[in-house]
Parts: sequence; structure tokens; C-alpha cells
Amino acid sequence: MVAHAEIRVVHRGGSKINFREPVITNDSRFLLCASGESVKVYSSSSEECVHDLQGHTDLVSGIVRNPSNHLQVYSCSADGTVRLWDFTDGILIKTFIIGYPIYSIYVSENHGGVVFVVVPMANDKSSELFQLVAVHLPRSEDQEVEARELSAVLCDVRPSGAASFGREGEYIAAAKGLQLEVFFFKKQKSYRFFLKPGNKKWAKNAFTCVSCHPKEDCIATGHEDGKIRLWRNFNQKKEYTYSTLHWHHGAVNTLQFTPEGTNLLSGGIESVLVQWRYTQETQMDFLPRLGGAITHIAVSPDGSLFCTSHSDNKITIIQSCVKVSAVIQGLVKGEGVRTNLMIDPRSKALVLNGKPGHLQFYSLHRDKLLYNLDIVQQEYIHEEGLDQFEVVRAAFDTRGDWLATVEERTQKGSELEINLKMWAYDEKTQSFVLNTTVTAPHDDQITAMCFSPSPETTMLVTISFDGHFKAWLLADNSDTTAEGASWSCDFVGGYHLLKPGCCCFSADGSLLAVGFQEVVTVWSPSWELLTTLSQPPGAIRDLCFGRLSCSKYLLGTSTKNQLCCWNLLTCSLEWSTPVDVSLLQADPLSENMAAFCSQSGCSDLFVFKPSEPLPLYSQRALCTGKVQHAVFAPRDQMLESCEEHAQWLNRSQLYFLTQHMDLMTFSTKSEEDRLLASSKRLMVDDSVAVTPFYLLLGKHRQQQEALTNPMAERIQLPQGSIAIKELLYTPAHVLPSASFLCSMFVRSLLISSSPAREEKEPVEEEMESEEEDSEGEAELRDARQDLGGSAAWGPGEELGAPALTKAQERELRRVKHFDHSWLSSLLEC
Amino acid sequence: MAADGGSFSLGLPCVFSPKSRQYLALCAQDGRLRIWNTDIKTLNQEYVPSAHLSATCTCISWGPCRKAKEGPQRKKRKSDAGQVENQVDLLALGTAAGSVIIYSTVKGALHCTLDGGHSGGVNCVQWHPEDCLLYSGSDDTRIVEWDLQTGKARCKWKADRASVTSLCVSPDGKLLLSAGHTIKMWDLETKEVYRKFTGHSTAVTTLRFATTRPPDSNGLYFLSGAAQDRLLSVWQVREDGKDKNSVVSFNLTDEPHHIDLLTSSSKDEAVRLAVVCKDGQLHLFEHLLNGPCKKPLSPLCTVQMTGVEDSPVPVPLLAVALTPDNHSLLLAYGNHLQPVMERVEVNTAERHVCLTRDVRTTLSLNMETTVSKVKTPVGNAKSKVLVPGLPGHQAPVKGALGSEKRKGTDAKEMSIEERLGKIKMSPEKGVKGAPSLQTDNYAVLLVQGLESKDINILNKVFHTRKDNLIKKTVALLPLPAVLPLVEEITKRMQGHPYTAVLMVRWLKAVLMQHTSYLASLPDLVFQLGVLYHVIESRVKMFHKLSKLHGKLYLLMTQSPLTKTMLQVTKVFQMRILITGRRMRPWKTRRRKA
Repeated sequence: MVAHAEIRVVHRGGSKINFREPVITNDSRFLLCASGESVKVYSSSSEECVHDLQGHTDLVSGIVRNPSNHLQVYSCSADGTVRLWDFTDGILIKTFIIGYPIYSIYVSENHGGVVFVVVPMANDKSSELFQLVAVHLPRSEDQEVEARELSAVLCDVRPSGAASFGREGEYIAAAKGLQLEVFFFKKQKSYRFFLKPGNKKWAKNAFTCVSCHPKEDCIATGHEDGKIRLWRNFNQKKEYTYSTLHWHHGAVNTLQFTPEGTNLLSGGIESVLVQWRYTQETQMDFLPRLGGAITHIAVSPDGSLFCTSHSDNKITIIQSCVKVSAVIQGLVKGEGVRTNLMIDPRSKALVLNGKPGHLQFYSLHRDKLLYNLDIVQQEYIHEEGLDQFEVVRAAFDTRGDWLATVEERTQKGSELEINLKMWAYDEKTQSFVLNTTVTAPHDDQITAMCFSPSPETTMLVTISFDGHFKAWLLADNSDTTAEGASWSCDFVGGYHLLKPGCCCFSADGSLLAVGFQEVVTVWSPSWELLTTLSQPPGAIRDLCFGRLSCSKYLLGTSTKNQLCCWNLLTCSLEWSTPVDVSLLQADPLSENMAAFCSQSGCSDLFVFKPSEPLPLYSQRALCTGKVQHAVFAPRDQMLESCEEHAQWLNRSQLYFLTQHMDLMTFSTKSEEDRLLASSKRLMVDDSVAVTPFYLLLGKHRQQQEALTNPMAERIQLPQGSIAIKELLYTPAHVLPSASFLCSMFVRSLLISSSPAREEKEPVEEEMESEEEDSEGEAELRDARQDLGGSAAWGPGEELGAPALTKAQERELRRVKHFDHSWLSSLLEC
Repeated sequence: MAADGGSFSLGLPCVFSPKSRQYLALCAQDGRLRIWNTDIKTLNQEYVPSAHLSATCTCISWGPCRKAKEGPQRKKRKSDAGQVENQVDLLALGTAAGSVIIYSTVKGALHCTLDGGHSGGVNCVQWHPEDCLLYSGSDDTRIVEWDLQTGKARCKWKADRASVTSLCVSPDGKLLLSAGHTIKMWDLETKEVYRKFTGHSTAVTTLRFATTRPPDSNGLYFLSGAAQDRLLSVWQVREDGKDKNSVVSFNLTDEPHHIDLLTSSSKDEAVRLAVVCKDGQLHLFEHLLNGPCKKPLSPLCTVQMTGVEDSPVPVPLLAVALTPDNHSLLLAYGNHLQPVMERVEVNTAERHVCLTRDVRTTLSLNMETTVSKVKTPVGNAKSKVLVPGLPGHQAPVKGALGSEKRKGTDAKEMSIEERLGKIKMSPEKGVKGAPSLQTDNYAVLLVQGLESKDINILNKVFHTRKDNLIKKTVALLPLPAVLPLVEEITKRMQGHPYTAVLMVRWLKAVLMQHTSYLASLPDLVFQLGVLYHVIESRVKMFHKLSKLHGKLYLLMTQSPLTKTMLQVTKVFQMRILITGRRMRPWKTRRRKA
């Protein structure tokens, strides 16, 4: 295969942002969270991503503020490094290489230069046991530093979220299973406290999270059964006490004390943020209906902002436990993608199932969730073990006027409930309007659904495991009622009671192909079975009609590693190849087809035209695991790429979801260059943020400056008076002509600039040398030096200070002169 | 000429962000800056300048796109983060007090203020496309060039005798247009006047370059619009300097408020222009710029918008953005406090397009989305619900062949004829039968009801529960009335189960009496298909329901039993209390339990 250096597989977003606890910065302006292999800095007010801190080569597994510098954060990653970042400018400051994969990181203000990280016990990655180690970060100027000075603190801890520093960093508490371990750094001793495995279901007493009170000796622990225990007096083995709080009915996922320790925050699957008053635990405040289950809580250092991470890949920013002020939402990931990936023809957004019962619209260009569309319109109850309606299939017609959704509720041992809903896009109200609801459209699960692309009829075909496919037609029955058009079933088809698996319309809507296990049936619009195609063994997995010039071909993939291409004119097999294609996707704007093949745990991509024997493009080892979902997104503007293997990316862009639900795409070099060229980095000084307070303060400062300046001038005045005095005290007959004196006099009145002063200094020194030695001179000079010194040391602006001292010096000199003459005259008298 | 600065009426500033048109920045009457997201159509940010009441915002300009940060020295790994589309960030606002505010949309906060450049209100701000420079024109007749890296004015010069009302920097960043008393073109390197143009009698509000500068300088055009002027003028910058008059003008219905323009880069590419006028109409123009054109050009297409009220009220358009793909437009309409954004595909083949929009509903739908990010589509009572059994849920049962279907329609026509014949017949029958028999009365009533479709009569007839009466009525029914009766029965069967129960008796009677007639019908399958589906779907659950019924029955019978058991135990306890002795049988009973 040809090496395609120009086409890169790039990450387009969709990573988890709720993986680890987010961090709010000291000034509450930014929020940092781990997102895949990078750290994202969000603005807490505008919800926008300000910086993307890239550098880690594996999953980022923790972020903490640098306790010694509030503008820096540490991040740790499974690649075995701890990195120090400046988040305001987005700069990597230092990399500390630890050498073991790190699962979480803790710091304390009282342990300067030390970070505590959780690493696996044994060196091999597969071990299930983890230990907490202290790492001394060496002080070095290098960018990359190896930190090998590790000392074990606690053995056998949970990989994340179950350790906390106590009051002033004196101890650290960690919980695992039924055991709470507290390690005192001063005594270098640890105490272990065990809970009894509860009376009936033993696992219910297990610890889930730990948080220590910042000011008092108290540890709060959360448990599987929804209880919160507050431990006190734990600096001894025996007489420890604990009190129990119980509100949550599910497990307590996370606990957090506010920085002053006045409140304790807890959250769990109920998606209710509970705020307990410390010492008055009967009083609680609730903030309900936050979305998915709460997985982490973070509090800003001043206690004004809380933020909660949720299981639906969301971070909510809450102002003082009252108001949700911002929501940062990533690509929602439930248990998996049930629907296919689709592109909304109107908004060009990626559409897939999102929150339970919703369809999410995700902007591919901006890596940002646009909104969730509520399909089920029923309150979702956040509780384990409930079966609720979920959106499992969705389809758009070619113009985006119609949306069909299938929602399903499965309950063990009972009837399957299915609803098919047709939504019309109403231009007047700019929203989807429910047109028809079909309850129980099929007796079994609907496996596929597609709209007919033909412009004359609006038709939807649903395929179900009950052995039938149904065609639904929009019928204008406005004669009977005033309702307008609504949907009704037009045809029910089947083939020998086989289970259909997939369906596909040809590009003009004139043919429908339905795959019934091993047989492909081709139907005409008047529902006649035109032909059957079969290529056993193996059931048909995917079907695709060729487009444009290749519209005579029908492609199918089967479970028994075959990719077949039938010619519809001759109704015969054109070609077939033995590849295990997990997904076949046709580009709606060109003849190209993309086939994702899985081979030895990796996925390969082939892009080909059905009429040509050689693939246009192939990429081996795209990602690990099978690619199950992919979509061609049409471009806004066609690219003009002339390289042959990159031409398939000209009209549309291929996106796919990996096993870990990362959204990836392909980009060409020319495209990236174009993007780079089209934008310039704007450097705009932002130091002068004007607030009313600043306005006041700035005015004050300006006044001060204005005050200091006249002072300097005034001090300089005596210097001018030298000339005046010389002029006045010298006898008139020795004076030069008045015209000469006048210019000198005027010049003396001018405020001298620094070069002028330098010119004058030698003159003064001459004058000094002319002086006769006197008794007091030495002392006076000392005093002058002292004074000058003190002036130099004194408070004052760096710029103003030297001028000031010079002036003072000169004044002193003058004073000395005068004193002298005065003294001598006195002595003479 | 506009000597009195500020008297001209500029619309409220309203600008789409460049390139991807993700945001709409709008300064409304209340002095607040609002940034709307055009993707979700919701309010993204709101910013209240600290002096928003005294120094209102007069003009807005979006800064160039921010580059996605990626150092050139960084090695590109395989699954590197892709270049996300450039994000817009900075927004420059000129205020009536003479300061320029720079606002950062990413941070959602004020970035910096540029003070001390102007003594009069700022009329126009423009970013330099390449460098970190910003130009502002003001009522004090001066243009200031701001260096944004330092936040200081780099250069300041008197541009005109009148106040500077509009500015425009050329796409290559070398020329600057300013409008005051006259339109002047400045060379930005030397800050000298390059050309002068005169023509407008009122204050020029809009200046825009229509082409990028081609190698031969005759191809540089720009466009100007003025207050209270219903023409947009296009000027050519010619090599020989003979460019005193405008070359082309575009006809409008009112003064221009907002224009968007796709510049043509090559000579044979037409310039696309969209203008929103003061009266809320949108005009689209397409014109190939080559030399003068005498007549004013009329718009290619005019777009208007109305509400859905009974007497249609025009909805004013606020701003427009053209998209490069030639079909769709991004519109903002409604009022400035809550505009609605929409991408519309406009058919430019029609000269007049009128769009109908329900602004109120749109707004009520939008406002909820801002925090929750959940949109609720309209699910009203008008939507149709198909449950199993209703027609439309299953495919209509058709005859095996199309020809039969045609026959069926013939038969229907026939039946109408017959029915007409019956109408003549039936009154006679009624006259005949009315006095004689009571039961006959019902049959007549039924026939009358079926013919006139009178619900009252039918209700009255169908509400009988007497099997005998039903039987007799059906037996007396004339044959042509049987099919309408069957239709009525199927219609009523689909309704509430209670009525369905009543209808079952009637159906039973019909089938017992008229099976032979029904079987003789050629389109039997078609006629009875719906009925068949109804029955099938109703019966489908019968098995499960009977199971449930059985279980419930068991439960119901057991619950009184347990009650009596309880009573028995109570009696026992009473006995224990009374006798003070424990009864052995009681103990054994408990153990069993």
C-alpha cells in the first residue's frame, strides 16, 4: 500500500470531561478538567474552552492546583509523567518523569515540593493493587526532570477518589473496601478502622469516598448504602467515634468539604447536590435535577463556586449552592450509541442518542454540544434498576423536513414497548413538531429504518426482527379532518418468515433492498418483489447502493467475511472479496464507499469505488477495536485537492467513533495548511481591565504620580537658585555682561534632564575640589552619605528615587557650603 | 453634506461573527451587549458595559479569528487533536463617550479598554485583517490607529472637516476608506490621502470593499451607502484617477441598515450582496463588476417576513449573512432584545419571497434552552396517534391485483347510485311501515341515520342492548344499507371499548343475517380489511388478559380468605387472653406458616 503521509487521522473531540474531578482556579475564572490526553481550560463564565493543554501521551488521570503558585497546576497521566502547567497562557512549564502509570494525584500545602501519586503496586500494568507514594519533585531548571525519589505512604488504595488530606496536611485518609486507613505524617504511623460487613448484603457498607475537614479533625466517608459517616477521635486505635448521616438512597459517589469546613457537599446517582451544615447535620440544602448521576464535586478555593461532574459527560457550575450558572457539556455518552450517526441536513450537526430519552445534536466544527432534543418527553428517574424509554433509532429524510425516532423500553420478562414517532420540521416555529405517533409498530425490535430519498413521495421503511418490514407513507387526508397530512402504513412485507437485518434505498428511491438473513430482496416502489440475490454462507450485515455513476451496483457485507458487489442490471455477482467488514458507509455526494474492516483487534479502512478494482485509499491499524459507527459529513466548501488519494475527502469528511467513544476524522495536509493560513494569532494586551474600582484606584495613582513629580521639581529648584545666588552675591563689577547672564539665568530655571545633569556634575565636583578642607567636612560627608544612603533605600518609585537622591545630595552640598560660611563667620566673630 | 455629526440615524449595531457565523453580536436599546449563538439560537452571553447608560455602544466589530494554538515545532502524532475551526474571540465596541472597549467572548469578560484617543463619540471601529491594529473614527473628525499589543494609540490624524462616520480597511490591509465630508482613501503606510470621492449628500453609514485588489488597479471597487439614501453606490478606483463618480448603483426600498457582501476574487465572478433596509426588507443582488452601468440595478430577490397573526404584521429583518454555498442565508429577525436566527434556503428565481414565521412561539421555545441545553419539540394534541387496530397502523388490505382495486372503486360508485335509489325508496318504506310495527321503526331509523349520517339517530339506535331487538332490526334492514352499517360499526369499534362492546352485538347480528350478501361482494377483502385488523389487534392481547384476569381472580378470592383467617387468629388471641392459656393448635399453625 502507498504511504499516505498527507492524510492524518485526527482526534475531533468527544472525550470524557467527567473522568476526574475538575479543578477551579483561585480566582474562580477558569475550570480545568482532564479530557482524554489533554487538559482543557474552560472559562467558568462563558463555558468556552480557553486553552487545550496538550502534551501527555496517555489518558490524563488527575489535576491539582500547585499549592505554592496559584497560577499553575499539576497534571498526571497514565503515561507516567507529572506535568506542571501555566494555565493562563497555556504553557507547559515542566515535566516530571515518574516512570509508572499514575492513576491519581494529591497535594497538600504543608508538603511543599512533594506530590502524592497513586501507582500500581507491582511494575506490571495488569496488577489490581495500587499504592500511594510521595514523590519529591527535584528543583531543577530543566524542562524534563526525572523524579525517582519515591517513598511509599500507603499500600493498597483505590486507584482514584478515595484519599484526602486532613487538617494542615497532618494526616491522609484513604478508604478501600471496608477499611479506612489514616496515616499520620508526624508519627509515621497509620491507624486502620474496619466496618462490619452489613448484616444482610455485605457490600453495602463498603466505603466509596473520603473527605477530610480542612480545619478540624474529622473525616467524612461515603458508603455504598447511601450513608455518610463522620469519624472523629481517630488518632488512636480504640476510642474512635463516628456519627451517621443518611439521605442518599443510592451509593454516595462523592463528598467534599467546603474550604472553611462549614458545609459538606455530597452527591450520588439521584443527581441531587446535598449540602449538609457541619455540626448541624439535620439541616440540609438540596439542589435537585442536575442531570446525570453526580460523579465528582469540586469547590473553588474561596468557596463561592461549586462544580459537579455528571455521568452524562457534563460539568455544572453552581454559584453558592443556589443557581446553576453554566453547563459545560461534552458529547453525551450513555451505555453506548444505540442510534446510528447521522448528519442533520439543516444544521449540519452530528446526531446520535444523548441523554436518556433525548437525541443530541453535536457541532462537528466546534466540538461542542448544541442541544439535546427531548424525544420521549417523560421525566427520567435517576435510579438504578429502572427500565425507562430510550431512543434507539432515528432517521432524517434528505432535506431535514422529517425526523423519525424509535423509542423502546425493555423489561425483563414482559412485553417490549416500542413507539415510532414522526416529527415534522415546522419552519414557522423553527422546531420539530410531532406529527404521528405509532405505538407498537412492530412486534419486535426495530433493527433499521430509512427514508426514501425520492423527492415525490415521503416514505419511511422500518425493519424489524418480527420478520416484516413496513413502509409508512405520508398521506394527505386533509379531506376528512383539518389536521393535514399524517402518516399511515402502506405496505407490510416479508420473505419466507426470515428475519430482516438491514435495508437500503437506491439513490433515486426507485429500489429498496432488504437483507433477509442470507437473501437480499429487491423491491420496486409498487411493492413488487423484483429479484432476490443471495451469496451464502453468512447473513447479510450491511447493504449499500452505489451512487452516481456506480448506481447499478449493490454492495453487501456478510457475517462470514465477505464483501459482495452485485450488478443490478444483470442481477449477478460482479465481484466479491473475503474481508471482515464491520461497517460499510456510502458517501452521499460521491461514488465512494468506506469499509471498516476489523482484523486482529485493529480496524482498517478502505475507501473504494464499486466500479474500480483498486481502493482509492487504505489505512491500516486505524484504531484498536471495531469501528461500529461512522458517517460522511458533507463539507460546506469543496476542497480542491489534486492528490489522487486525497480526493475522496474533497466533498465530504468521514467521521467515526472508536471503541472508547472518541470521535475521529481524517484531515489532509492542504486543509490544515489552509486553516493555519487563514488565521493569525492575535496578541492583544489585556492588562488594563477597567472596573469601577480600578477607575477609582487608577485616578488615585495618577494623583500620586502628579504629587511626586512637583516634589522633584521643587527639590530641583534650589539647584537653580545656585545660579541665582551666585548672581546675587557676586559683586556687580566682576559679573560678565547681562546678556550672557540672562541666558544662564533662564537656563538655570529650566528643569534639567538627566544628560544635562551629568554635564553639570563635573562642574560641581570642581567646585568641591576648590573647597578648603575644614574640620567638620569629614563628619558632614559621612552624614551626607548616610542621608544619601537612606534616601536610596527609602520607599519610592524606582524611577523617581535616583533623581530624588541626587537632588537631595546637591541640596546637602549647598547646605554644607552655607553652614560652613556661616560657621566660619561665627568663628571669626 | 453631513456636517452635524451624530444626527444621522444608524441602526442599532448588529454584526455576525466572521467566517463560520457562529455568533451574532447585538447592542440593544438597553445598552447591553448580547451575543447570540446562531447554531442553537440561544443567548450565549450578556455583557453590561460599566457605563452603558451614559456611553452607549455605537458600533461593533468582530476581531479576526483566533488561531487554534499549535506550535510549529510540535511533532504531529497520529491521533493528534485536529484543527478545530477557528474560534472567534475579540469584539471591539465603540462608545458614544469616545472610548473603545475590547470584549473577549471566550473569557466572557472585558478584555481591555482603549481610552484617550477621541474627544468625541466613536462612530466606527475596524480591525486590521493582518496585524494587531484597530482603527476607529469619531465625531472629533479624527481617525486613531490603535496598537493592541500595547493598548495605546499608535497614530492619530485628522481625517476630514466633518465627523468620520464610517471606515473600512481593504482585505489586503494596505488601504483604508474613511467617510466624512467626502470619502477618502488612505494609504495606511504613509497615512496620506490616496484618492478622494464625492457623491453622497448625507452621512455615509456603510463602506465596504467589493473586490480584493487585482494586479491591474482598475479592478478595485468599493461600495458605499448613506443615511436617508435609497441607493447603494459602487465606486471604481482607477489607475488614471478619473474616478469622480460612482459607476454602479443598487436600488433599495429604504436606507441600508445592514449589508453583507461576498467579495469576488476573480474578474469573472459576480459580487453577491445582501442588504437589509430600514423597513425590514432584505434585498439580494448579484452583479459582475466591470466598468460603469448607467441604470440603477434592481434587486435579484426581495425577502420579507410576516407573523402568523390574523392580520399579518411584518417581522423586521435585522441582519443577514451570506454563505459561500450560494443557496442559504443566515437571517436574524424579530426585535433587538430577542432576535431569532435562522438559516434559510431562498429560491432566488422568484423575485419576491415572503416567509411566515411564528416569532412568539420560537422565542418561548428558545428561552428554556440556554442553561439546560435541552430543546423540547412541540408535541401537541394535533398529532395523530396510531395504535394497533386503527386504520393506518397496518397496511390497508388490498385486492391481490390492481385491476380489482379499480373494480372496487366502480362498485363504490354503483353503491352511491343504489344509495340514491334507496333514498327515494326508503321514505316510501318509512311511510308504509311507520304506523304498523314498533320494531320496524328501529330499522327505519337506522336507515335514515345511515343515510343522513345523523349522529343523534345512530346513537339512539346503537344504544340498545336487547339482543332480540338488534336481531330483528338487522333482519329488516334493506340489503344496500348493510355495507354502510358495517362501515359505521367499524368506525365505532375503533373508539372507546365501551362502545365497542355495544357494537359487537350489532356486528354479530349482521354477520348472522347477511353473510351471504357480504360474501357475494367482489371487494369483500377491501371493505372488511379494517374491521379484520381491529378485531385481530383487539384479540391479540386476549390471551394475556385472560391470564391476568385469572391471576387477579385468584388474588381477589384469596384476600377475603386471609381476612377471615385474621379474624380467626384474633379470636384465638382473645381466647388466650381470656383463658390465659396458650393453645397448642395456634402454635402449630404458626410453624406451618
